[in-house]
Amino acid sequence: METRRDDVGIAIRSAFLTKGTKQKFSLFVLIVLSILLIFLETYKTKPLNYFRALVKDTIYRGALVVSTPSKTISSLSKYISEHTNLYRNYKKLQNENNELKDDISKSDFLELENSQLRKLIEEQVSSSKNIVSARVMMDKQSPYLNSYIINIGNNKKIKNGMEVLDGKNFIGRTVDVNFFSTRVLLVSDLNSKIPVVAEPSGNHSILSGHGVNMPTLEYLPKKHNVQNGDKIYTSGRAGIFSPGIPIGEAKVENNIIKVLLFSDLDQVTFVNVNLENKSSK
Amino acid sequence: MAFFYKNAKFRFFEILPLFMLFFTAFNGNSTLDFNFFSINLHYILVYYWVLRHPQNLGYGFIFLAGLVNDVVFGFPLGINSLSLLVIAGMAAYVRVVTVRITLTNDWISFVPALLVANFVYFISLSLTNHSIDYFFLFQNSLATFIFYPLLWMFFSVILKIIKS
Repeated sequence: METRRDDVGIAIRSAFLTKGTKQKFSLFVLIVLSILLIFLETYKTKPLNYFRALVKDTIYRGALVVSTPSKTISSLSKYISEHTNLYRNYKKLQNENNELKDDISKSDFLELENSQLRKLIEEQVSSSKNIVSARVMMDKQSPYLNSYIINIGNNKKIKNGMEVLDGKNFIGRTVDVNFFSTRVLLVSDLNSKIPVVAEPSGNHSILSGHGVNMPTLEYLPKKHNVQNGDKIYTSGRAGIFSPGIPIGEAKVENNIIKVLLFSDLDQVTFVNVNLENKSSK
Repeated sequence: MAFFYKNAKFRFFEILPLFMLFFTAFNGNSTLDFNFFSINLHYILVYYWVLRHPQNLGYGFIFLAGLVNDVVFGFPLGINSLSLLVIAGMAAYVRVVTVRITLTNDWISFVPALLVANFVYFISLSLTNHSIDYFFLFQNSLATFIFYPLLWMFFSVILKIIKS
Protein backbone atom coordinates (compact mmCIF):
# COMPACT_ATOMS: atom_id res chain seq x y z
CA MET A 1 0.00 0.00 0.00
CA GLU A 2 1.31 3.44 -0.88
CA THR A 3 1.90 5.89 1.96
CA ARG A 4 0.66 9.33 1.08
CA ARG A 5 2.52 12.48 2.09
CA ASP A 6 -0.64 13.72 3.86
CA ASP A 7 -0.63 10.65 6.13
CA VAL A 8 2.98 11.30 7.21
CA GLY A 9 2.12 14.94 7.90
CA ILE A 10 -0.89 13.96 9.98
CA ALA A 11 1.22 11.44 11.95
CA ILE A 12 3.95 14.02 12.64
CA ARG A 13 1.37 16.63 13.69
CA SER A 14 -0.32 14.12 15.92
CA ALA A 15 3.00 13.11 17.54
CA PHE A 16 4.54 16.54 18.05
CA LEU A 17 1.69 19.05 18.32
CA THR A 18 -1.19 17.18 19.94
CA LYS A 19 -1.27 16.86 23.71
CA GLY A 20 -1.90 13.26 24.74
CA THR A 21 -3.97 12.04 27.66
CA LYS A 22 -2.59 13.33 30.97
CA GLN A 23 -0.02 15.44 29.05
CA LYS A 24 0.13 19.12 30.02
CA PHE A 25 2.57 20.23 27.31
CA SER A 26 2.96 19.31 23.66
CA LEU A 27 6.32 17.94 22.55
CA PHE A 28 6.87 20.82 20.16
CA VAL A 29 6.61 23.45 22.92
CA LEU A 30 9.11 21.60 25.12
CA ILE A 31 11.56 21.06 22.26
CA VAL A 32 11.45 24.80 21.49
CA LEU A 33 11.97 25.52 25.21
CA SER A 34 15.02 23.21 25.30
CA ILE A 35 16.57 24.90 22.24
CA LEU A 36 15.91 28.29 23.86
CA LEU A 37 17.66 27.13 27.04
CA ILE A 38 20.71 25.97 25.08
CA PHE A 39 21.00 29.37 23.39
CA LEU A 40 20.43 31.21 26.68
CA GLU A 41 23.42 29.32 28.08
CA THR A 42 25.69 31.45 25.90
CA TYR A 43 24.37 34.70 27.44
CA LYS A 44 26.10 35.66 30.67
CA THR A 45 23.92 38.30 32.28
CA LYS A 46 23.54 38.75 36.03
CA PRO A 47 19.86 37.73 36.41
CA LEU A 48 20.42 34.68 34.18
CA ASN A 49 23.53 33.72 36.15
CA TYR A 50 21.55 34.01 39.40
CA PHE A 51 18.78 31.86 37.97
CA ARG A 52 21.27 29.24 36.75
CA ALA A 53 23.10 29.22 40.11
CA LEU A 54 19.79 28.78 41.95
CA VAL A 55 18.68 25.90 39.71
CA LYS A 56 22.05 24.18 39.99
CA ASP A 57 22.29 24.62 43.75
CA THR A 58 18.81 23.12 44.18
CA ILE A 59 19.55 20.15 41.94
CA TYR A 60 22.92 19.49 43.61
CA ARG A 61 21.22 19.38 47.03
CA GLY A 62 18.55 17.06 45.62
CA ALA A 63 21.19 14.86 44.03
CA LEU A 64 23.03 14.70 47.34
CA VAL A 65 19.93 13.35 49.08
CA VAL A 66 19.04 10.90 46.30
CA SER A 67 22.58 9.51 46.07
CA THR A 68 22.77 8.81 49.83
CA PRO A 69 21.68 5.12 49.61
CA SER A 70 24.13 4.26 46.82
CA LYS A 71 26.91 6.17 48.61
CA THR A 72 26.20 4.27 51.82
CA ILE A 73 26.35 0.93 50.02
CA SER A 74 29.61 1.78 48.24
CA SER A 75 31.25 3.07 51.43
CA LEU A 76 30.13 -0.09 53.26
CA SER A 77 31.68 -2.33 50.60
CA LYS A 78 34.85 -0.24 50.69
CA TYR A 79 34.94 -0.56 54.48
CA ILE A 80 34.66 -4.35 54.24
CA SER A 81 37.33 -4.65 51.54
CA GLU A 82 39.66 -2.40 53.54
CA HIS A 83 39.29 -4.70 56.51
CA THR A 84 40.02 -7.78 54.48
CA ASN A 85 43.18 -6.18 53.09
CA LEU A 86 44.36 -4.90 56.45
CA TYR A 87 47.42 -7.14 56.84
CA ARG A 88 48.63 -6.63 53.27
CA ASN A 89 48.26 -2.87 53.62
CA TYR A 90 50.11 -2.92 56.93
CA LYS A 91 53.11 -4.63 55.35
CA LYS A 92 53.06 -2.23 52.42
CA LEU A 93 52.89 0.80 54.72
CA GLN A 94 55.74 -0.55 56.83
CA ASN A 95 57.96 -0.75 53.74
CA GLU A 96 56.88 2.70 52.58
CA ASN A 97 57.58 4.10 56.04
CA ASN A 98 61.11 2.75 55.96
CA GLU A 99 61.70 4.27 52.53
CA LEU A 100 60.24 7.62 53.62
CA LYS A 101 62.48 7.72 56.70
CA ASP A 102 65.46 7.37 54.38
CA ASP A 103 64.15 10.17 52.19
CA ILE A 104 63.37 12.64 54.99
CA SER A 105 66.94 13.72 55.49
CA LYS A 106 67.30 14.34 51.75
CA SER A 107 64.01 16.28 51.45
CA ASP A 108 64.78 18.58 54.41
CA PHE A 109 67.92 19.71 52.67
CA LEU A 110 66.10 20.14 49.34
CA GLU A 111 63.30 22.16 50.96
CA LEU A 112 65.79 24.56 52.50
CA GLU A 113 67.62 24.90 49.23
CA ASN A 114 64.33 25.42 47.35
CA SER A 115 63.09 28.21 49.63
CA GLN A 116 66.47 29.95 49.35
CA LEU A 117 66.35 29.72 45.57
CA ARG A 118 62.78 31.03 45.48
CA LYS A 119 63.79 34.01 47.57
CA LEU A 120 66.60 34.56 45.16
CA ILE A 121 64.23 34.84 42.18
CA GLU A 122 61.78 36.90 44.32
CA GLU A 123 58.90 34.57 43.73
CA GLN A 124 56.04 34.71 46.22
CA VAL A 125 55.82 31.54 48.29
CA SER A 126 52.15 30.67 48.58
CA SER A 127 50.68 31.21 52.00
CA SER A 128 48.40 28.70 53.70
CA LYS A 129 46.05 31.58 54.55
CA ASN A 130 44.87 31.60 50.94
CA ILE A 131 43.66 28.04 51.13
CA VAL A 132 40.08 27.16 51.94
CA SER A 133 38.89 23.59 52.55
CA ALA A 134 35.73 22.05 51.16
CA ARG A 135 33.90 18.76 51.25
CA VAL A 136 33.20 16.81 48.05
CA MET A 137 29.40 16.55 47.77
CA MET A 138 29.27 14.54 44.57
CA ASP A 139 31.92 13.01 42.37
CA LYS A 140 30.97 12.29 38.79
CA GLN A 141 33.57 10.08 37.15
CA SER A 142 32.00 9.23 33.84
CA PRO A 143 33.36 9.14 30.29
CA TYR A 144 31.33 12.32 29.67
CA LEU A 145 32.65 14.32 32.57
CA ASN A 146 35.13 13.90 35.40
CA SER A 147 34.26 16.44 38.04
CA TYR A 148 33.46 17.02 41.69
CA ILE A 149 30.81 19.21 43.23
CA ILE A 150 32.16 20.87 46.39
CA ASN A 151 30.08 22.49 49.12
CA ILE A 152 31.41 26.05 48.88
CA GLY A 153 30.86 28.71 46.25
CA ASN A 154 30.44 32.45 46.08
CA ASN A 155 29.84 32.44 49.84
CA LYS A 156 33.57 31.64 50.35
CA LYS A 157 34.81 33.93 47.56
CA ILE A 158 35.44 31.11 45.12
CA LYS A 159 35.93 32.20 41.51
CA ASN A 160 36.31 30.37 38.22
CA GLY A 161 39.79 29.06 37.42
CA MET A 162 41.09 28.58 40.98
CA GLU A 163 43.38 25.63 41.58
CA VAL A 164 42.01 22.72 43.62
CA LEU A 165 44.33 20.52 45.65
CA ASP A 166 44.08 17.19 47.39
CA GLY A 167 46.48 17.77 50.26
CA LYS A 168 49.37 19.30 48.32
CA ASN A 169 48.62 17.62 45.01
CA PHE A 170 46.95 19.43 42.13
CA ILE A 171 43.74 17.69 41.04
CA GLY A 172 41.76 20.28 39.07
CA ARG A 173 40.29 23.75 38.83
CA THR A 174 36.98 25.43 39.60
CA VAL A 175 34.77 25.91 36.55
CA ASP A 176 31.18 26.55 37.57
CA VAL A 177 30.67 28.61 40.71
CA ASN A 178 27.21 28.87 42.29
CA PHE A 179 26.12 30.38 45.64
CA PHE A 180 26.79 27.34 47.80
CA SER A 181 28.41 24.87 45.43
CA THR A 182 31.14 24.74 42.82
CA ARG A 183 32.03 22.29 40.07
CA VAL A 184 35.67 21.22 39.99
CA LEU A 185 36.93 20.09 36.59
CA LEU A 186 39.41 17.30 37.31
CA VAL A 187 42.71 16.87 35.45
CA SER A 188 41.38 13.61 34.02
CA ASP A 189 38.48 15.33 32.24
CA LEU A 190 38.44 15.52 28.45
CA ASN A 191 38.22 19.33 28.58
CA SER A 192 41.14 19.75 31.01
CA LYS A 193 44.42 21.19 29.66
CA ILE A 194 47.06 22.13 32.27
CA PRO A 195 50.55 23.58 31.57
CA VAL A 196 53.06 21.34 33.32
CA VAL A 197 56.77 20.71 33.63
CA ALA A 198 58.49 17.33 33.98
CA GLU A 199 61.30 16.92 36.48
CA PRO A 200 64.24 16.29 36.25
CA SER A 201 64.17 16.71 32.44
CA GLY A 202 62.61 20.21 32.71
CA ASN A 203 60.52 19.74 29.56
CA HIS A 204 57.38 21.87 29.40
CA SER A 205 54.15 20.37 28.06
CA ILE A 206 50.36 20.31 28.41
CA LEU A 207 48.66 17.73 30.61
CA SER A 208 45.58 16.65 28.73
CA GLY A 209 42.69 14.66 30.25
CA HIS A 210 41.07 11.69 28.49
CA GLY A 211 38.01 10.80 30.55
CA VAL A 212 38.29 7.29 31.94
CA ASN A 213 41.89 6.81 30.78
CA MET A 214 44.98 8.34 32.39
CA PRO A 215 45.87 11.93 31.38
CA THR A 216 48.78 12.29 28.95
CA LEU A 217 51.50 14.82 28.20
CA GLU A 218 51.02 16.64 24.91
CA TYR A 219 52.99 19.24 22.93
CA LEU A 220 56.32 17.99 24.24
CA PRO A 221 59.43 19.00 22.25
CA LYS A 222 60.51 16.36 19.71
CA LYS A 223 63.74 15.65 21.56
CA HIS A 224 62.42 15.38 25.07
CA ASN A 225 63.95 13.40 27.91
CA VAL A 226 60.83 12.44 29.85
CA GLN A 227 61.20 8.95 31.29
CA ASN A 228 59.31 6.54 33.48
CA GLY A 229 59.03 7.86 37.02
CA ASP A 230 59.66 11.54 36.20
CA LYS A 231 57.64 13.83 38.45
CA ILE A 232 55.10 16.16 36.86
CA TYR A 233 54.43 19.60 38.37
CA THR A 234 52.37 22.62 37.33
CA SER A 235 54.67 24.90 35.37
CA GLY A 236 52.92 28.18 36.20
CA ARG A 237 53.20 29.20 32.55
CA ALA A 238 50.45 31.54 31.32
CA GLY A 239 50.14 32.68 34.93
CA ILE A 240 46.98 30.66 35.62
CA PHE A 241 48.26 28.30 38.31
CA SER A 242 51.06 28.53 40.85
CA PRO A 243 54.24 26.75 39.73
CA GLY A 244 55.61 23.60 41.37
CA ILE A 245 52.41 21.92 42.56
CA PRO A 246 52.88 18.16 42.29
CA ILE A 247 50.46 16.33 39.97
CA GLY A 248 51.79 12.86 39.23
CA GLU A 249 54.42 10.57 37.80
CA ALA A 250 55.23 9.89 34.15
CA LYS A 251 54.59 6.43 32.73
CA VAL A 252 55.78 5.80 29.17
CA GLU A 253 53.63 3.35 27.18
CA ASN A 254 54.04 2.91 23.40
CA ASN A 255 55.66 6.35 23.06
CA ILE A 256 52.67 7.93 24.81
CA ILE A 257 53.53 9.59 28.11
CA LYS A 258 50.75 8.91 30.55
CA VAL A 259 50.62 10.51 33.98
CA LEU A 260 49.85 8.43 37.03
CA LEU A 261 48.23 10.94 39.39
CA PHE A 262 49.51 11.21 42.96
CA SER A 263 45.92 11.50 44.20
CA ASP A 264 43.39 8.72 43.75
CA LEU A 265 40.46 10.78 42.41
CA ASP A 266 37.93 8.15 43.52
CA GLN A 267 38.97 8.46 47.14
CA VAL A 268 38.97 12.21 47.72
CA THR A 269 36.60 13.49 50.44
CA PHE A 270 38.04 16.93 51.21
CA VAL A 271 39.82 19.34 48.90
CA ASN A 272 41.68 22.62 49.30
CA VAL A 273 40.97 25.56 47.03
CA ASN A 274 43.67 28.15 46.53
CA LEU A 275 41.89 31.52 46.71
CA GLU A 276 44.80 33.24 45.05
CA ASN A 277 43.30 33.35 41.57
CA LYS A 278 46.19 34.27 39.34
CA SER A 279 44.08 34.46 36.20
CA SER A 280 41.84 37.18 37.67
CA LYS A 281 44.77 39.50 38.39
CA MET B 1 -7.47 -4.43 53.23
CA ALA B 2 -7.16 -6.39 50.01
CA PHE B 3 -8.50 -3.40 48.08
CA PHE B 4 -6.00 -1.09 49.79
CA TYR B 5 -3.12 -3.47 48.99
CA LYS B 6 -4.18 -3.76 45.36
CA ASN B 7 -4.53 0.01 45.07
CA ALA B 8 -1.11 0.64 46.64
CA LYS B 9 0.51 -1.94 44.35
CA PHE B 10 -1.13 -0.34 41.32
CA ARG B 11 0.02 3.16 42.36
CA PHE B 12 3.58 1.91 42.99
CA PHE B 13 3.92 0.34 39.56
CA GLU B 14 2.23 3.31 37.91
CA ILE B 15 4.84 5.78 39.19
CA LEU B 16 7.76 3.34 38.83
CA PRO B 17 8.87 4.60 35.35
CA LEU B 18 8.79 8.20 36.59
CA PHE B 19 10.65 7.25 39.74
CA MET B 20 13.32 5.41 37.72
CA LEU B 21 13.68 8.38 35.37
CA PHE B 22 14.30 10.89 38.17
CA PHE B 23 16.26 8.57 40.45
CA THR B 24 18.77 7.79 37.70
CA ALA B 25 18.92 11.46 36.67
CA PHE B 26 19.67 12.71 40.19
CA ASN B 27 22.07 9.85 40.84
CA GLY B 28 23.97 10.46 37.60
CA ASN B 29 23.23 6.91 36.44
CA SER B 30 21.31 7.74 33.29
CA THR B 31 24.27 6.20 31.46
CA LEU B 32 25.07 2.89 33.12
CA ASP B 33 28.82 2.54 32.75
CA PHE B 34 30.24 -0.97 32.90
CA ASN B 35 33.86 -1.80 32.25
CA PHE B 36 33.59 -2.61 28.56
CA PHE B 37 30.34 -0.98 27.55
CA SER B 38 27.74 1.48 28.70
CA ILE B 39 23.98 1.76 28.23
CA ASN B 40 21.88 4.88 28.04
CA LEU B 41 19.07 3.88 30.36
CA HIS B 42 17.15 7.12 29.84
CA TYR B 43 16.85 6.61 26.10
CA ILE B 44 15.40 3.13 26.53
CA LEU B 45 13.12 4.19 29.39
CA VAL B 46 11.71 7.20 27.55
CA TYR B 47 11.36 5.37 24.24
CA TYR B 48 9.56 2.37 25.73
CA TRP B 49 7.11 4.26 27.93
CA VAL B 50 6.23 6.97 25.42
CA LEU B 51 5.69 4.24 22.84
CA ARG B 52 3.71 1.81 24.96
CA HIS B 53 2.03 3.75 27.77
CA PRO B 54 2.58 7.52 27.52
CA GLN B 55 0.18 8.18 30.41
CA ASN B 56 2.93 7.07 32.80
CA LEU B 57 5.63 9.42 31.56
CA GLY B 58 4.60 13.01 30.84
CA TYR B 59 6.66 15.08 28.41
CA GLY B 60 7.08 17.75 31.09
CA PHE B 61 8.71 15.22 33.40
CA ILE B 62 11.01 14.05 30.60
CA PHE B 63 12.05 17.68 30.06
CA LEU B 64 12.72 18.16 33.79
CA ALA B 65 14.68 14.90 34.06
CA GLY B 66 16.83 16.09 31.14
CA LEU B 67 17.53 19.36 32.97
CA VAL B 68 18.54 17.45 36.12
CA ASN B 69 20.81 15.27 34.01
CA ASP B 70 22.42 18.34 32.45
CA VAL B 71 23.16 19.87 35.84
CA VAL B 72 24.50 16.63 37.31
CA PHE B 73 26.79 16.02 34.33
CA GLY B 74 27.77 19.68 34.05
CA PHE B 75 26.44 20.23 30.54
CA PRO B 76 24.71 23.44 29.43
CA LEU B 77 21.02 23.40 30.39
CA GLY B 78 18.74 21.92 27.73
CA ILE B 79 21.06 19.48 25.95
CA ASN B 80 19.83 16.25 27.52
CA SER B 81 16.25 17.56 27.60
CA LEU B 82 16.37 18.11 23.87
CA SER B 83 17.78 14.67 23.05
CA LEU B 84 15.29 12.95 25.39
CA LEU B 85 12.40 14.88 23.84
CA VAL B 86 13.60 13.89 20.37
CA ILE B 87 13.52 10.25 21.49
CA ALA B 88 10.02 10.85 22.89
CA GLY B 89 8.94 12.48 19.63
CA MET B 90 10.18 9.56 17.55
CA ALA B 91 8.42 7.14 19.91
CA ALA B 92 5.17 9.14 19.66
CA TYR B 93 5.43 9.08 15.86
CA VAL B 94 6.01 5.32 15.80
CA ARG B 95 3.03 4.88 18.15
CA VAL B 96 0.80 6.78 15.74
CA VAL B 97 1.86 4.85 12.63
CA THR B 98 2.03 1.29 14.02
CA VAL B 99 -0.75 -1.06 14.97
CA ARG B 100 0.93 -4.29 16.08
CA ILE B 101 3.05 -4.35 19.22
CA THR B 102 6.06 -6.62 18.81
CA LEU B 103 9.56 -6.52 20.16
CA THR B 104 11.02 -6.64 16.64
CA ASN B 105 8.98 -3.62 15.49
CA ASP B 106 10.01 -1.63 18.55
CA TRP B 107 13.62 -2.66 18.28
CA ILE B 108 13.97 -1.73 14.61
CA SER B 109 12.20 1.60 15.06
CA PHE B 110 14.51 2.35 17.98
CA VAL B 111 17.49 2.61 15.56
CA PRO B 112 16.41 5.85 13.80
CA ALA B 113 15.32 7.30 17.15
CA LEU B 114 18.76 6.60 18.60
CA LEU B 115 20.54 8.02 15.54
CA VAL B 116 18.50 11.23 15.46
CA ALA B 117 18.78 11.76 19.25
CA ASN B 118 22.56 11.27 19.17
CA PHE B 119 22.85 13.57 16.16
CA VAL B 120 20.99 16.29 18.07
CA TYR B 121 23.23 15.59 21.08
CA PHE B 122 26.44 15.97 19.00
CA ILE B 123 25.22 19.16 17.36
CA SER B 124 24.17 20.85 20.59
CA LEU B 125 27.41 19.85 22.33
CA SER B 126 29.56 21.15 19.51
CA LEU B 127 27.55 24.39 19.41
CA THR B 128 28.35 24.93 23.09
CA ASN B 129 32.07 24.05 22.63
CA HIS B 130 32.07 20.87 24.70
CA SER B 131 34.55 18.12 23.85
CA ILE B 132 33.21 14.61 23.90
CA ASP B 133 34.61 11.16 23.30
CA TYR B 134 32.91 10.21 20.02
CA PHE B 135 34.09 6.60 20.15
CA PHE B 136 32.52 6.25 23.59
CA LEU B 137 29.23 7.64 22.28
CA PHE B 138 29.27 5.23 19.35
CA GLN B 139 29.97 2.34 21.72
CA ASN B 140 27.22 3.57 24.03
CA SER B 141 24.67 3.77 21.21
CA LEU B 142 25.54 0.27 20.04
CA ALA B 143 25.21 -1.20 23.55
CA THR B 144 21.96 0.72 24.13
CA PHE B 145 20.56 -0.82 20.94
CA ILE B 146 21.76 -4.33 21.84
CA PHE B 147 20.38 -4.21 25.38
CA TYR B 148 17.02 -2.75 24.37
CA PRO B 149 15.21 -6.14 24.27
CA LEU B 150 16.33 -6.99 27.79
CA LEU B 151 14.88 -3.82 29.26
CA TRP B 152 11.87 -4.11 26.93
CA MET B 153 11.02 -7.42 28.61
CA PHE B 154 11.50 -5.93 32.08
CA PHE B 155 9.29 -2.93 31.31
CA SER B 156 6.70 -5.20 29.66
CA VAL B 157 6.32 -7.06 32.95
CA ILE B 158 5.72 -3.74 34.77
CA LEU B 159 3.25 -2.66 32.10
CA LYS B 160 1.40 -5.96 32.40
CA ILE B 161 1.04 -5.40 36.15
CA ILE B 162 -0.20 -1.82 35.60
CA LYS B 163 -2.75 -2.96 33.04
CA SER B 164 -3.95 -5.85 35.19
